[in-house]
Amino acid sequence: MEVLKNILLFLANNIFNEVGILIGLITLVGLLLQRKPIEELIAGALRATIGIYILTIGTNIFVGGLVSFQTIVSNAFGLTPPEATNTLGDFLGSHGGTIALVITVAFFLHIIAVGIFKTDYVYLTGHLMFWISVLVTAALVEQFGSLGQWALVLPGSIIVACYWTIQPLYLAPLMRKIIGSNDWGMGHTGSTSYFIGGKLGKLVGSKEKHDTEKLSLPKQLGFFKDVNVSTALVIGIIMLISMAFADQGVLAEQAAGYNADIHPWVWGIVSALRFAAGIAILLFGVRMFLAEIVPAFKGISDKVLPGTRPALDVPTVFPYAPTAVMLGFLSAIVVFLITMIIFASIGWFVLVPSMIMLFFIPAGAAVFGNATGGWRGAVLAGGLAGLFLAIGQAITWPMLSSTAPELATLADPDWYILAWLISLLNIPFAGMNPSAGIWIVTGLIVVIFAILLVILKRTVSRVEEEPAGEAPFSREETSPPTEGDLG
Amino acid sequence: MTKKGLKEPLTAITICGVGMGSSLILRMTAEKAFEELGVKAKVVATDVGSARSMQPDIIIGQAMHTEEFEGVAPVIVSITNFTDHQALKEKLAEPLRQQGWME
Repeated sequence: MEVLKNILLFLANNIFNEVGILIGLITLVGLLLQRKPIEELIAGALRATIGIYILTIGTNIFVGGLVSFQTIVSNAFGLTPPEATNTLGDFLGSHGGTIALVITVAFFLHIIAVGIFKTDYVYLTGHLMFWISVLVTAALVEQFGSLGQWALVLPGSIIVACYWTIQPLYLAPLMRKIIGSNDWGMGHTGSTSYFIGGKLGKLVGSKEKHDTEKLSLPKQLGFFKDVNVSTALVIGIIMLISMAFADQGVLAEQAAGYNADIHPWVWGIVSALRFAAGIAILLFGVRMFLAEIVPAFKGISDKVLPGTRPALDVPTVFPYAPTAVMLGFLSAIVVFLITMIIFASIGWFVLVPSMIMLFFIPAGAAVFGNATGGWRGAVLAGGLAGLFLAIGQAITWPMLSSTAPELATLADPDWYILAWLISLLNIPFAGMNPSAGIWIVTGLIVVIFAILLVILKRTVSRVEEEPAGEAPFSREETSPPTEGDLG
Repeated sequence: MTKKGLKEPLTAITICGVGMGSSLILRMTAEKAFEELGVKAKVVATDVGSARSMQPDIIIGQAMHTEEFEGVAPVIVSITNFTDHQALKEKLAEPLRQQGWME
């Protein structure tokens, strides 16, 4: 008995709690299922594992840059920086294994759910599959922190699987309007903002009269599409402005912590560049392990559920309205920066403008807004997305302050919704035994998604019963914009 | 040179803004397209920033990105539908023949 216990303990501490090794093994199984040759098995598993460690290193650099930014900007407004008792880097270290298991178990539960309920869409946006698993795990640990790894994995997986199953489904009617077919669905954690954009767009304009693609924007704006460049630039500019107002003593102290001889202003620029570099490294690591895992997920779903459609990342709709993409981004950045000044002035929260979410979410929302309301819809959708991201960050940071608060600065709208849902639903059961509480909260979330599923199945089947001729677009009609129009 | 694509694999990259989501899906679509065209190619998904340092033979992405890569690779293909390998095959065939990378 003692030997068995020791073996299990060894596995728990060295395999299931060591995220890099666990991901490597999961990748190995995925590649085996695809019957890849031995050299690809080894190379793929190693690449995935190295990717995880790169991600962790990038996270630490990013968190360092983030702390500098928050310290200086808070100081300029006479505030204390947002509180945190843990960091994302530490959380990935302590709960990485749980996250790896959540993403894997959730994918299989999702496949089963798609098969049983015939929901048609298999979620394949790998990096968001990873991040939403991190987010749900962090939100559960905030509420039920005393529970061990295995008690967290199944509830976390169920919540994540429900989300992946429902999310592409509820955007399907709007997606059909944009891409003119059912070829693929939208699998993205900005779905709340896309839905709001699509629904409110038609109240302010019309696609026929105000189509964004009839407008042209200055070409110079194009560099914002490179998120590394735009992150360094925007964070750097805000940093420099804040430094002019910050306490020079605090500034000198921070700079000395980096390098005793560096000029504080140069340190400010270096911090912004390190923030951007940290994110670039983090993304590189994620890209490395996704390149191995996503094809495995796709291979499995193609085999088990032939005929289903993939739910894909948001840039897949960008070719249908590239001008809306830039318009939505511009609208959001203006709204976000104004909100940043307001929130700091009233002493509520020092917002961090993470350019990745500030580009992709408003851009996607604007494509949806344009589909129903033209450029007016795009501007409204982008602006609302920027506002949602600002409010979401301020509300969600303290909710995650003892696990991974930085998630609030990297988050998309749906991350916020899920974090709020888990925290709010647990309020009545907060005093309860956590191993019962976690299942009550999970059960309630399943009920919410089940109700959504019933409603959506009804509306979707109604749409599909309509004769094809009455559909807003047939495939041939939505010829994509020619290259000359893009811009 | 003429062996490229026939015996020696071409290097192709699929790009998107961050190099994680849509470029990865496009990589799988491109792999299928190359296979059906009978062209040997190693396809890598990456972001617009890293793509500049990779000196690929072929760049595939949406026009919003590819238009900034003129002259970076001999063959640049713009796509609209990330999952349609038939459409990609049609777009690839002509330039691949011109380069002598396909029979």
